[in-house]
Amino acid sequence: MSNLILRTATIDDLNAIMTLEHESFPTDAWSAESMASELAAAHTTYFVLESTQGKLAGYAGLSKHHSSDQSDVQTIAVSPEYRGEGHGRALMNQLLSTAAKQLARSVFLEVRADNPVAQKLYESLGFKVIDRRARYYQPDNVDALIMLLELPDAPRAPLVLGIESSCDETGIGIVRGSQLLANVISSSMDLHASFGGVVPEVAARAHLEALQPTLGKALADAGVSLEEIDAVAVANGPGLAGALMVGVGAAKALAVGLGKPIYAVNHLVGHVGADVLERGEVEVPTIALLVSGGHTSLLLVRDLLDDVVLLGETIDDAAGEAFDKVARVLGLKYPGGPEIDRAAATGNPKAIRFPRGLSLPKDMDQHRYDFSFSGLKTAVARWIESAQTAGETIDVPDVAASFREAVVDVLVTKAVAACVDHGVPRLLLGGGVVANARLREVAAERCKANGIELRIPAFQLCTDNGAMIAALGAQLVMAGREPSQLSFGADSTLSVTTVQTLS
Amino acid sequence: MTRYILAIDTTAGTSVALLDGETVAAEVHHPSGMKHAELIGNAIAQVLTVAEAAGPQIAAVAVGRGPGLFTGLRVGIAAGIMFSEATGAGLIGVVSHHAIALELYTEHPELVQKPLLVTTDARRGEVYWCVYGGVDPHGLPVVLRGPSVGKHGELVEQLTDSYPDFNERSGGATAVWVGRLAERMVLAGVHDREVSALYLRAPDAAEPKPNQYGLGAK
Repeated sequence: MSNLILRTATIDDLNAIMTLEHESFPTDAWSAESMASELAAAHTTYFVLESTQGKLAGYAGLSKHHSSDQSDVQTIAVSPEYRGEGHGRALMNQLLSTAAKQLARSVFLEVRADNPVAQKLYESLGFKVIDRRARYYQPDNVDALIMLLELPDAPRAPLVLGIESSCDETGIGIVRGSQLLANVISSSMDLHASFGGVVPEVAARAHLEALQPTLGKALADAGVSLEEIDAVAVANGPGLAGALMVGVGAAKALAVGLGKPIYAVNHLVGHVGADVLERGEVEVPTIALLVSGGHTSLLLVRDLLDDVVLLGETIDDAAGEAFDKVARVLGLKYPGGPEIDRAAATGNPKAIRFPRGLSLPKDMDQHRYDFSFSGLKTAVARWIESAQTAGETIDVPDVAASFREAVVDVLVTKAVAACVDHGVPRLLLGGGVVANARLREVAAERCKANGIELRIPAFQLCTDNGAMIAALGAQLVMAGREPSQLSFGADSTLSVTTVQTLS
Repeated sequence: MTRYILAIDTTAGTSVALLDGETVAAEVHHPSGMKHAELIGNAIAQVLTVAEAAGPQIAAVAVGRGPGLFTGLRVGIAAGIMFSEATGAGLIGVVSHHAIALELYTEHPELVQKPLLVTTDARRGEVYWCVYGGVDPHGLPVVLRGPSVGKHGELVEQLTDSYPDFNERSGGATAVWVGRLAERMVLAGVHDREVSALYLRAPDAAEPKPNQYGLGAK
């Protein structure tokens, strides 16, 4: 048997695949366009077999919609020179294990009635003929046999419901293992607008009111009922105490009512865990920079469940708070992040050199990875004041762009330094401030320059949400961890080293 | 199969009870006004265990809506909502002051002819109050005045004019009486699912003053 490499196909394989496609299916080959869209589709997984010299020896594709528990073998082909060596079986086994990983219960395929070799392979893998479609293959006028394989009832990944209420977002998410099924976020942001910042009591009241509708929508989105839930996860800190308590009380009663285990998980580690929903895992070690209205934290994650270290955090305002406060100084609305982003779009980021907090050599000993933004806010206010006194007109876009640059510069500089210092080639961003266009841009540039892989999950997974809590809970369940006792409380200053609160 | 009412009240302590009609099958009562979030889960689990009751046997969840301490109050209501969602049990909102009135009138039948002032400290020298005048034919406390928030001294002065023989009881609802009141409300057909919190007062947050400096300055 030739030594071949099996790997996931990419769009770069299209030409080689099309050559083999025409060779294998001379009368009814797919068009290059169809094949390209197959390779690119979210619900398909394609594999290629290639020689060590990079020559394509075979390919196969599987399709499965996330809402269905049925998979379909889309196509399979092995180059004539490699046939009879078990490569078709290897490709099929790869498809079947993929189907199992995607929690399929059954796999369907069609095979030409005049291809006994293929039929024999499928039968040996456990497929059974369940139907026959007359003259399915045209123009050859050949019947198709429909074959079905019922997959063994593999232990299904756990269905976990996560509740997040640490600040002003009521989030309820549902995941199956590492698969996102629902992520519903109800924000009380508008209620805080007139106060210029999150008011804890207002946020807590809003959580209580949002619970029932948010839960209902999450269940509807996921297409599951509460009885199917295997475990409940809840963020029990860090965050606003009164707000956290609503989620904790809700989650406990849900778990007791359902007779299911509960997992109390760390909100900040949840932000890191969100990445499993896009990648299937969190690649470690990684540095994580979490930036929101409530947090500015730099973490070193060597293991998502067992080894998370806080390298540094803000010693005063969170970065998001700084945006809100400076927006006020500039006469812009709340929340400040998007407003400043908009104003800064046409501004010159180098117009004014605002201070970079805790970046002077004297600060670097004690506060190498810490942040400080309150002085920056004051600096912006003073700058405007003196410009006004001098009778100058204030160029809001320039001030906004220069302020934003100062925040982004410090955030990215310290995050990249953490990567370099610890020899960690990965940076993961999380938190609502990740929506800031300039932060993403500068992080991308500097990570590239330093050979660091940058991960930014979709915004709905970056901002506070229940799916990340459910995802972290599911990781604990799958790792066989004990559930939390019902006696845990909300801890507004919970340390990131406590990934799960046991009691 | 017995069909229970699970009653939850966290307006003062953490109080949970399981009732079969007005008979208490199990009760957990933590009087301290702290640690509601810590205590609520085990309190619910314990009453279910003691009564050997399972989720499907809960016909309804009765929740004390307040008035009460902000953070604790929410924990009980949040728990009630979610337990109802989890088990499919109905949800019944109960005004906690009404439950206190029912308790007093039931435990002290000699007082049932007399008005009753129920108060909860609303801080800053004010109380959240409601005045009751006995019970109606369904056994439900009758509200004479309130609820409202005001200075206690002034309130007592006013009430003494109208109701010279009124009694006063302050705070401290228990789940048992929240559950009993819910049972009577069901029998009288006056129960509903409204469980929004009755807060002692509005949030303390003040809108920011105009900027002292900067472009937003007035």
